[in-house]
Amino acid sequence: MGVVLAANGALLLWNAWRYDWLRGYDAYANDEYASTVADDHRLPSADDSGVWHTPPLWFAVAGVLRRAALDHGWGPAQRPGQLLAAAAGFAVCVLVFLLARELWPERRGLHLLALIVAAASPALVRASAMYHPETLAVALAAGGMLVAVHALRTRWTVWSGLGAGVLLGLAGLTRAWALPVLAAVVAAACLDAWSRRRWLPVALLVASSLVLIGPWLANEQRAHGSALAFNRPAPSGSVLSRRPASFYVGPRSLRALEHPVTPLFRNELVPHLYADWWGDWALTWDSPPPPAPGQLLPPNVVSERGRQAVIGIVPSVLALAGIVALALLAVARRSAAIGLLPLSALAVAGAYALFAVLYPSTDGDTIKGTYLLMALPAASVGLAFVVDALRPHTRTATAVTAGVVALFVAAQLPFLIL
Amino acid sequence: MAPRPLTDVRAARLGLAVAVVVVGAQAVVGAAWSLSHDDPTELELTTRCLEREKGLTLEETTDDPVAASAQGGTLRTIVEGNLVTLSVATSQAEAERLRAAYASSNPGVRLDVRGRYVALWLRDPSRSQRQATYDCAY
Repeated sequence: MGVVLAANGALLLWNAWRYDWLRGYDAYANDEYASTVADDHRLPSADDSGVWHTPPLWFAVAGVLRRAALDHGWGPAQRPGQLLAAAAGFAVCVLVFLLARELWPERRGLHLLALIVAAASPALVRASAMYHPETLAVALAAGGMLVAVHALRTRWTVWSGLGAGVLLGLAGLTRAWALPVLAAVVAAACLDAWSRRRWLPVALLVASSLVLIGPWLANEQRAHGSALAFNRPAPSGSVLSRRPASFYVGPRSLRALEHPVTPLFRNELVPHLYADWWGDWALTWDSPPPPAPGQLLPPNVVSERGRQAVIGIVPSVLALAGIVALALLAVARRSAAIGLLPLSALAVAGAYALFAVLYPSTDGDTIKGTYLLMALPAASVGLAFVVDALRPHTRTATAVTAGVVALFVAAQLPFLIL
Repeated sequence: MAPRPLTDVRAARLGLAVAVVVVGAQAVVGAAWSLSHDDPTELELTTRCLEREKGLTLEETTDDPVAASAQGGTLRTIVEGNLVTLSVATSQAEAERLRAAYASSNPGVRLDVRGRYVALWLRDPSRSQRQATYDCAY
């Protein structure tokens, strides 16, 4: 495990150091937000930054680091923000390992596999190099889930209620995608409290998270007319008419295995998300910027992403299988601890799908693999659970499994290492 | 008879069955689409753009063996009074081959290679004439 963590830490550090901060999602707008918070000590208006709708925690920290870098003449001043994202990405991997261990303390192979799957997730590796708040939000939410799973397995206490609430509140103060996770934790905690007739920890969980997120949501409601305002108005008319049938059906799904880059299958939810999770649909990673119309992409850019898309087939099926299996197991055993992971994944996927339908965009910028990183803990632990449950527990089978996992990681390294 | 308890193995198998059905259904949708639809080629997209957006009349390329050898196809049109033959290459190497084949007749600025598109103009093109072809490159 130490070797995996060391390699993971080195990979994320290396990438964050080498990645051009301006190529990350919303990089320039993120920098304007961070500088407004750190230098002007206020939240940005819509004129200040295009991501004014994002909660401020990461921007406050990145802004302070940015200012320190400028004061000391370190450049680029955004690199500390990237290193913060890398550290958070590393924390996500550790927390996935701890979640697996909390649920099945005796199954060491399962813990290790969950850790490897999370560490080798292209969406997490890419997000960890960006000047972006996503990984910090996922780390805080995963921390909150870990506290909740421990409490659900043992017993909720005042401190676990407060701890989970604070971590999830901070996650919500970093990215709105943490709110569905918070809802899932509260639902699981309520089920547990119902059976135990002990509501104080749940009340503290809700209260502590609301104390942290409430002011932000109230400010959004007051200033922009909606607690969950976005940087563009939703189109008028029926929700169902906002996306064409191709958005839901994904007719060009098979092209995602062959040519998984922009502009193919743009705005087709499943293939677009799949290609971006396992590869880099929008070409913001290790390729030259997207070429002008009529220009040719370097051949290795498409083939590398195509290879990633093929590599992703089996893990994706296993992750989906794992989430379903954990849900079935949770219901059969009446275990809220096991159920929390699939519930959080379902809540995140549902919230994301709703968002993508509510805010259609012609260039597909509301469909990104990194938006679903909140579901990574459930997907990684679920995948590890299925593999561990189905593999024969013999030495030969263990060696074969280890070989396949090593191959899965090795085949991805040319893409994952910048 | 009491129902069988849900063991880890059974849960994993059921989960796998559900996942295979879901992913299989998506693959069937993709396969059905691929079998019944062809994505338009670059040449078709360019043709549509030049006709609909630029209002140009297109004709077949004749008497140009270099253009005829372009694997992505070729078309000919007149932009603001200047005849242009557009050839679409399918790789950088092919674009270079087409350029080299045309270059032997010293076309100068009449030969314009941009990515996969190789344009041979009858006379030196103006900026707006070139831009019309650039706008319809995919």
